[in-house]
Amino acid sequence: MRILSLIIVILTAAVLIYGTLDMPDCANPDTPASQHVSPRYVTRAMEETATHNIVTSVLGDYRGYDTLGETTVIFSAGMACILILRKRRRQ
Amino acid sequence: MFDFIVGKYNYWIYIILMMIGFYAMMSKRNLIKKIIGMNIFQTAIIIFFISIAAKRGATLPILEHAHDGGEHAIEAISYINPLPHVLMLTAIVVMVATLGVALAIVLLIYKKHGTLEEDEILKKIEFQE
Amino acid sequence: MILLFDFAILIFVLICAVAAITVKDLLSSVIILGAYSFLLCLLWAEMGAVDVAFTEASVGAGIGTILLIVAVSKTTRRSKD
Repeated sequence: MRILSLIIVILTAAVLIYGTLDMPDCANPDTPASQHVSPRYVTRAMEETATHNIVTSVLGDYRGYDTLGETTVIFSAGMACILILRKRRRQ
Repeated sequence: MFDFIVGKYNYWIYIILMMIGFYAMMSKRNLIKKIIGMNIFQTAIIIFFISIAAKRGATLPILEHAHDGGEHAIEAISYINPLPHVLMLTAIVVMVATLGVALAIVLLIYKKHGTLEEDEILKKIEFQE
Repeated sequence: MILLFDFAILIFVLICAVAAITVKDLLSSVIILGAYSFLLCLLWAEMGAVDVAFTEASVGAGIGTILLIVAVSKTTRRSKD
């Protein structure tokens, strides 16, 4: 069992390392992730949301529905914990 | 060659970290050890996304000269990409919610079977049937 | 990003991850996981993600460690592997 899982882990690591050979270098400012939508967030955040911290303005204003979904996840996790851990009545 | 290794070595360390968590999830028999492995796996993914956001020679995503009436132009190249930070902020909170539900299920299993080892639990289930 | 600082923290993170899954006592394993979370917080503050570092230090290292300690103290400390 241990040998089998070690083989699976090494195969997965080899596939993932083969995938990193095409990735852009770390801390490169010209990656596709930094070119598409984030320059608009950085340059327009002050006039559109009047917040110094860009992370807060994206979290609370541009992507507010994302935060609403996160709150739903936490609520359902709390409900699941209460339902699992409550004391059951003896039958 | 040296530039290639310097540009890519942190991705390889993240992959090693993720594989440590994956190995713990598959081969450890204790349930708490499996949950710790899941935690390591999730944090490895979060580190990978944060490292995508890093830019060389850029500063934190907090605006510096915001109230001087447009004297200093805001350029996107001098601030770190804020979008992966927001997404991973959500992912960290979801990680803790997952941990809470998993530990509640582990407590229920311990109350019913009296052990945390996977093979002993399987033996007791077979013995009951 | 400072290259040497980054590399040193990553080596510490790897050592903590290996130690957390090999220690036989569950309580020390949980405490090593807390140290792992604080090293990750340092790594993110070094990469420039200050908000993520705050959230990790309060939610990941604080609440996560407390939940795991409560679970271990309600069940058992010993494990076979």
